[in-house]
Amino acid sequence: MDERRSDLKKIIMDTKTLPTLPGVINKLNSLSNDDKSSVQEMARIVSADQVLSARILRLANSPSYGFYRVSTISNAMILLGVNVVKSLALSSSIFEIMEKNSVGLWEHSLGTATAAGIIARKLALPEVEEITTAGLLHDIGKVIIGLKCAEQMPLIRNKIKLDDLYISDAERAVLDTDHAEVGGWLSKSWFLPDKLSEPIACHHNVACSEDHRVKTSVVHLADVLIKASGFGDSGDSYVPPIQQLAWDQLKLDEALLQEIVVELEDKLVEVKNFSLELASAAVA
Amino acid sequence: MQKIPLNLATAEMVLARDIFKNDSPTGMPICGKGTELSDSLISRLQQMGVQSLYVEGHPVWQEGDRGLTEQLADLEKRFSKTMDNRYNTTLLEVYRTHFTAAMGDDGGRTEE
Ligand SMILES: [Fe+2]
Ligand SMILES: [Fe+2]
Repeated sequence: MDERRSDLKKIIMDTKTLPTLPGVINKLNSLSNDDKSSVQEMARIVSADQVLSARILRLANSPSYGFYRVSTISNAMILLGVNVVKSLALSSSIFEIMEKNSVGLWEHSLGTATAAGIIARKLALPEVEEITTAGLLHDIGKVIIGLKCAEQMPLIRNKIKLDDLYISDAERAVLDTDHAEVGGWLSKSWFLPDKLSEPIACHHNVACSEDHRVKTSVVHLADVLIKASGFGDSGDSYVPPIQQLAWDQLKLDEALLQEIVVELEDKLVEVKNFSLELASAAVA
Repeated sequence: MQKIPLNLATAEMVLARDIFKNDSPTGMPICGKGTELSDSLISRLQQMGVQSLYVEGHPVWQEGDRGLTEQLADLEKRFSKTMDNRYNTTLLEVYRTHFTAAMGDDGGRTEE
């Protein structure tokens, strides 16, 4: 029963077949986050990487960030935030695949990152940018499964539809593992810090996180909120249950939840009405 | 709140967000949130090259837009697996209130 799982783990942990961690990320990681001068330095490093520059400018000019036309890397970094840029570098090749093959998952990831940032700021938590990055990467295991288990994907999709399952349950039924565990394996092979790998590996089971329960709880809640909002497409359309542990960790209550939702929906409206803009451009 | 292109803006709509010069958050604010649009203001915004703006409620309808009733039905469907979780029912209530408020006082689409 565990055979498929360990086979899969071997394939995924085989670094030769994994998207590599770009060298630029090491340089970026050595710079501090909040220092103004480091934005300039970071922009310089990023500008040296043509592919990454193009990707960052494309993201900065995408509807998710409003329709501001941004033409320089340093302006893009100010708009996106240094850590979004960092994580773009980090997951450069992965996100290229995600953008191309799964716009829905890309939107779900961006939305979760947005929600995680809003929650973290509202609760005045430290390391907001790291939490945002964890939100952006939380479902990265789905991308890896899509890459490594392409043949089983139709089966997983069918199971979700026919048996009315959450994607995690369908993944476990077909693969003996799920995207959270796979994301955890990937984080290990990439040597990501625990504050990123724990939220990735435990966002569906906060109890499994040991040292970063608060960050994990934020990402767990952010994922729930984005699914409640109906934003993007994460593979199934049901809101996961909010875990009591996460609720307690974040000391949530209805009033707080309401403030978070209002702020989140305010941000998401920029993307939601993109089609309207396109439609009117077509008419004009 | 709804984002609309300027050519669909009409008098009496109310701005839900500030308008900035060149649509840039770092640009100068031209017009504040809460301002009621007039024909002359709209043509001034046109001259300044403003492309789009945010208005209160949901005044512009297009193909595929979902009315409040449909939105609430979708919302409930998304929560249908977790109605036994009290935190989720709280969140559902928060979202129901929010969607209703966001669509404006008239509750959304008016039948033709
Ligand atoms: Fe997930
Ligand atoms: Fe997710």
